[in-house]
Amino acid sequence: MGLTGYLLLAAALFSLGVFGVVTRRNAIGVLASVELMANAVNLNLVAFSRHHAGPTGQVFALFSIALTVAEVVVGLALVLLLFRAKGDVRIELASELKD
Amino acid sequence: MPFLESHLLGVIVAAPFLAALALLFVSPTRPGAIRAISLVGALVSLAGSVHVALGYDLARGGLQRAERYPLVPSLGIDLSLAVDGWSVSLLLLTGVIIVTGVLASWTLTDRPRDFFVLLLVLVAGVFGVFVCQDLFVFFLFYEIAVLPMYLLIGIWGSRGKVPAAGPFAFVWRRFDVGGREYAAMKLTLMLLVGSAAILVVILALYSAAGGSTFDLQALARARFPRELQLWAFPLLWLGFGSLAGVFPFHTWSPDGHAAAPTAVSMLHAGVLMKLGAFGVIRVGMLLLPEGASYWAPTVGGVAVINVLYGAICALTQRDLKYVIAYSSVSHMGVVMLGAATLTVDGWNGAIYQMFAHGMMTGLFFALVGLVYDRAHTRWVPSMGGFARQMPWVASFFVLAGLSSLGLPGLAGFVAEFLVFLGAWQSQHYVWALAGVLGAWVTAVYVLRVGRDIFFGEGPRSDEIHHLTDARRSEWGALWVLGACLVVFGSYPRLILDFIHVATLEYLPRAAGAASALLEASR
Amino acid sequence: MSPLYTALLCTFLPLAAALVLVLVSPLRRAGLAAGLFSVATALIAFGGAVTLLLERWSGAATPVRETVRWLPHAGLGGGAHARAVIELGVQIDGISATMLVVVTAVAACVQIFSLGYMAGEPKPDFGRYFTWQSLFLFSMNSLVVAPNLLQLFLGWELVGLVSYLLIGYWWSKPSAARAAMKAFWMTKLADMGLILALLVLFVDTGSFDWTVTTSAAGAVTLLLFFAVMGKSAQFPLHVWLPDAMEGPTPVSALLHAATMVAAGVFLVVRAFPLFEQAPTTGLVMAYVGAFTALFAAVIAVVQTDIKKVLAYSTCSQLGYMVAALGAGSQVGGFFHLTTHACFKALLFLAAGSIIHGVHSNELSHMGGLWSRMRVTSVAFLVGALALAGVPGLAGFFSKDLILEHVLERGLWAPLGALLVAAFLTAFYMGRVTLVALFGRPSAHAEHAHEGGVSLLAPLVVLAVPAAGVGWLGAKLSGLYAAPVHFHLSPVGMVATGLALAGLGLAYWMFGAPQGGGRLRAAFAPIGRLARSGAVNARFAWGYGVLGGVSSIFAWFDRYVIDGLMNGLGYATLALGARLRGLQTGRAQDYVYVLVAAMLGVGAYGAFWSR
Repeated sequence: MGLTGYLLLAAALFSLGVFGVVTRRNAIGVLASVELMANAVNLNLVAFSRHHAGPTGQVFALFSIALTVAEVVVGLALVLLLFRAKGDVRIELASELKD
Repeated sequence: MPFLESHLLGVIVAAPFLAALALLFVSPTRPGAIRAISLVGALVSLAGSVHVALGYDLARGGLQRAERYPLVPSLGIDLSLAVDGWSVSLLLLTGVIIVTGVLASWTLTDRPRDFFVLLLVLVAGVFGVFVCQDLFVFFLFYEIAVLPMYLLIGIWGSRGKVPAAGPFAFVWRRFDVGGREYAAMKLTLMLLVGSAAILVVILALYSAAGGSTFDLQALARARFPRELQLWAFPLLWLGFGSLAGVFPFHTWSPDGHAAAPTAVSMLHAGVLMKLGAFGVIRVGMLLLPEGASYWAPTVGGVAVINVLYGAICALTQRDLKYVIAYSSVSHMGVVMLGAATLTVDGWNGAIYQMFAHGMMTGLFFALVGLVYDRAHTRWVPSMGGFARQMPWVASFFVLAGLSSLGLPGLAGFVAEFLVFLGAWQSQHYVWALAGVLGAWVTAVYVLRVGRDIFFGEGPRSDEIHHLTDARRSEWGALWVLGACLVVFGSYPRLILDFIHVATLEYLPRAAGAASALLEASR
Repeated sequence: MSPLYTALLCTFLPLAAALVLVLVSPLRRAGLAAGLFSVATALIAFGGAVTLLLERWSGAATPVRETVRWLPHAGLGGGAHARAVIELGVQIDGISATMLVVVTAVAACVQIFSLGYMAGEPKPDFGRYFTWQSLFLFSMNSLVVAPNLLQLFLGWELVGLVSYLLIGYWWSKPSAARAAMKAFWMTKLADMGLILALLVLFVDTGSFDWTVTTSAAGAVTLLLFFAVMGKSAQFPLHVWLPDAMEGPTPVSALLHAATMVAAGVFLVVRAFPLFEQAPTTGLVMAYVGAFTALFAAVIAVVQTDIKKVLAYSTCSQLGYMVAALGAGSQVGGFFHLTTHACFKALLFLAAGSIIHGVHSNELSHMGGLWSRMRVTSVAFLVGALALAGVPGLAGFFSKDLILEHVLERGLWAPLGALLVAAFLTAFYMGRVTLVALFGRPSAHAEHAHEGGVSLLAPLVVLAVPAAGVGWLGAKLSGLYAAPVHFHLSPVGMVATGLALAGLGLAYWMFGAPQGGGRLRAAFAPIGRLARSGAVNARFAWGYGVLGGVSSIFAWFDRYVIDGLMNGLGYATLALGARLRGLQTGRAQDYVYVLVAAMLGVGAYGAFWSR
């Protein structure tokens, strides 16, 4: 299978992620969708790494995974705080900054 | 002290700044120490300025005492300081005004530490502008001088009466017109818009000159293309002009000056407005001579509007501070008028008017603050007969008024006369006529206001018997400024010789007719 | 002492006195000591001035001229401007030496008189009064010794300032405060002419000297004359002078009769070489001067305030001088200035002495003073007769000279006006003298009595020149021009006849027990017109217009110009309020936009940018 297959898969994953972020109202669902988008990118990195036969992409992917973990931690902490403050994790509850 | 001697300009600029830093370590509950430190900082600068003036070699002329501290070498930004004849006179002005300003705000009780910190930072910026020879740092200092004004007026300011009326009354109701926050905001916004215009031009000049230096002397040699000069000069003129009160960007001035506390008004009208005019001449006319001579008729025409319009508006004001503020608008018009003549006498007059008007308006605002402090009102119709209780304040008010209406023997006359002479030489006869007429209108409103406040019978004597004349530190401010008006008015060469040297050197760049003129005057 | 130093002493000693009085508060507040100090310096200055004049009198001295650079200047290109300098200095010649003596003599007399006249004032005010007096002497002397028009202008403005200060001496009186201001405004308005004349002259010739030849002589002299009209109270800029009588009477004597108002005439005398180059200006001056002489004399006839009579008389006599100068007679103008200074100062001081005795300015409050205040009355009589032009007294000589010159030039209308004015002058002076000195005593005048010696001594001293200075005319004119030989000319005889007729008419109307009632009634309309203050109303009207224009401007600035600025701020705020609707606060909305934008950019890159 050539590069195109991986890229198509990654694009599909990314689109699913975007769809999730836009449509989900549950904050945890949004977070999971964001993860999906991040992983689509990781897939691309690895695919290109193999295509160019160099280690850079894989290193970058590892780096990205580590960052994603940190992001999830922060994200979940925020969700937790939102739950504590509002008793629910619906994302439209967190819109107070607009005022 | 060789170090002091070789870094004197740096010391002058840094002294107020260091004093401000030192104030941060003083307990806010010790006003005595705060005032003392501020006064020392101001006095160091004044002493340094006097020393610079005494040590300036008139025969040699040009830039002297050059100091250079690299800031961003890769972009060609240096903190390079040097004085020419113009700087010498304006340094002296700033030194005198800050010292008297500190003296005039001696009795301030509301958060004195923060007040003096801001005041000193502001004045450090002013000193910086006058001695700086690097365009970028020039702009930096300019902003340092302008921005503290926002806090100084917003926190320590007072309120004027401005009824909502006219075609824009609906706007008035949205804003707290006349309030101190309103005045501070208006002033800052208008000046910052001006700054934006200046910044654009500065960057344009920088890249047009090759993008390697901001040095004013180098830029002056750069000979910018004509198209650049033609669009850049008006931007600079209006940008700096917003601070110099150029019509129609003068409207921050009445509100700002009225709302500002005494020392801030003194500094603002006395020195800060001069930064604008100085910028127009120093940056605009020296770097962009072709643009300057192309636009000079416009600049002069607008200056004429300033002179007459400001004076006529002042005539009918009932709030004392508004009168003086409009008179500043009018007198700054004289500065711009002198600059626009592009003649030796006109330029000498313009710079000398900065000096003279600084002293005079400093004295005016010191007196206004004093009257306000005693009578708790600035509303002229509610005053009268104050001379009985405050004879010296009345005398100094008349003195300042006489200087502003151009009475010979006082500093204002010399400046105005030179400007008119320049205007007549440049064959803009209307400018001279308008200037002379403006001086007459000034006589009308200054004497009328003086009469209304100090002479005549006044409201009821039991209301004013508690008024007192000037007190200890206030005497210092009044006498110093008053004496300056008389001394520099009767023997103007004390200052004018410095200015003349610099004008002779710079004017040929702007006016073209160069070498014959230099030869003729030697 | 060389003439230069004497002149400097005359000028700067009074300045030093003024400075000492300003700075040394205890001395100023000491009252009498301050006065004596000031008088002493004035007397020294007078001594110096006399020395200067005597040197010239003996014919030995040559004119002295020394200058220093005052302002740095670099002219336009080459030519006259290349060497142009702006300088101040001292010039002593026949004109300035004579004027210096006149000024210092009158000033010294007035100051001595003031010691007595102002004695009732609070001590600090008394000190202030003498501070201004010293300052005046400095200003006037610096004007007199001026070597060029620039310095003359400086002194000119300074005497205007002192006039403002002294008219407003009783500043807590609203009328005095207003009169001071008005005098300053009017003269300052006229001074615009002088400053413009300086500009024209300097730009044309590169010099402020009056000896230069200029192509712009017409413009320069007309502008100068405009300033003269203000300072020397020529119609229609004379309105400030009667109001200026709000000041203390000695001030009126010194500033508003003898010296300061004569500065305008002095300017023309000084700048005569310029005026000679502009014959048109001369014509204008002759007509304006003659008209003022007549107009003011008419008004003086109906005044009831003794000081106002003298004030309008001063206007009228200044008109004489201006007409003389316009007719090309430098000597006539200047000599009349000299004689007028003597007798008018005498008249004013005598009037001051009367006011001091009667405590009123009103003629109707006087009467019968001849028996109660003999010295003052004699002095007043001498002054009045000298002013009226009675043969042998000072005014006779100078008026005669003027009329002769006007006739010589063939200026018939001015000549007629001046002759009528001569008649009226004699008439109103006769009226004042008869009513005040010989009329039926009023209640006020019952207890009138002479003041102290400081009030009387100056009268006696001034009466001598007022009577006799005319005989020195030939010698005095010889100091600066070809000596004039006085002889009784036909026109002089006509004028003398008219003057005597005026005195006779006055006697018939006011002196004789009855008669003249019908004639007196004829004057009533003029009286009403003069007292209604038609001209003053015009002034108030002008001020009202200025105020109205100013209100409009201020409104425009406040609500239109500033309104535009505020409107800009308002528009920004309003725009912000609209735009904030885009900001829903929901992260998903933003993602929509983000994705849409990404797709848009991608699509653009992929399809359209090729």
